Amino acid sequence: MAYKVPRSVVEAFYKVYAARDVDGIAELLDDDAQWDISGPVDLLPFCGAHRSKAEVIDLIGRQIPMVLRTFSFVPEAILVQGDRAAMLSRQSSRRTKDGRTMSYRVANFMRFRDGKLMENLSLIDSFDVVEQVLGHPLARSNGARRGNGDLVAV
Amino acid sequence: MTEPVPRAVVEAFYNALAGCDMETLAPFLDDNVVWTISGPVDILQFCGQHSGKAVVLKLLDRDIPLLLEKRRLYPESMVIDGDRVAVLGKLSARRRDVGHAISYRIAQFFRFQDEKVVEYVSLIDSFDAAEQVLGRPLVRQAGRQAENSDFISV
Repeated sequence: MAYKVPRSVVEAFYKVYAARDVDGIAELLDDDAQWDISGPVDLLPFCGAHRSKAEVIDLIGRQIPMVLRTFSFVPEAILVQGDRAAMLSRQSSRRTKDGRTMSYRVANFMRFRDGKLMENLSLIDSFDVVEQVLGHPLARSNGARRGNGDLVAV
Repeated sequence: MTEPVPRAVVEAFYNALAGCDMETLAPFLDDNVVWTISGPVDILQFCGQHSGKAVVLKLLDRDIPLLLEKRRLYPESMVIDGDRVAVLGKLSARRRDVGHAISYRIAQFFRFQDEKVVEYVSLIDSFDAAEQVLGRPLVRQAGRQAENSDFISV
């Protein structure tokens, strides 16, 4: 029979992940966990494919905090069906190097097995995140820079 | 409390959306639907928040096709929970002006009411999408150009 993840497990994972509680996350990660973040690896070094529990822990506990430190992770939607969960959240962080505040939406698509997270794919508005991490607008094809109003607040 | 949306309704709606079948899609949109696509509006003009059934139908049937033709969604994972639906998939299309193939990841979150969509939020890998639409790498901070390996395939 196909595994169905209890909502309580998904919510427990969300809670420790939102708090960036590395020990709590580790308890809910499968040894073969896969964690993917979609985005340009040369600009956002934490993007890419991360394989195994140790790599995921290193990602969340060390690699991401080298770039940004998250202080708020607010769920807008948590959906659970079968062995899968999907979340839409608003993440607020500070750039590690200067404390500048960043805010963007994150989508997580997860798969669980036996109460542990097996797979996660995170999708972010990567253009927006890159600009916030760099601290300046990216050059456009016509050389134009955009004003503050061009970014979509979603 | 809002009624759960039946899977048959979701599948009929999503098939119409994925195939850009506006005639079939229209009855599934609430008159006051709010449709939000996250991304840089100056590069991807269809991004932003669009309110009202007529506006959303125009967006899907006329505005997006001005930039992207032969648009098609390929769902990889769908989670249905109560009145909400989340889909992780890929959008493939061709740039209308030069015919280049474009493909990027998309996360879609829908909320239904009375079997109609009242709210839609999508997150796309907008950095990847913007580079494909521009037809060149975006300028990096250090002047480095993107290589294919910079973008993960997940």
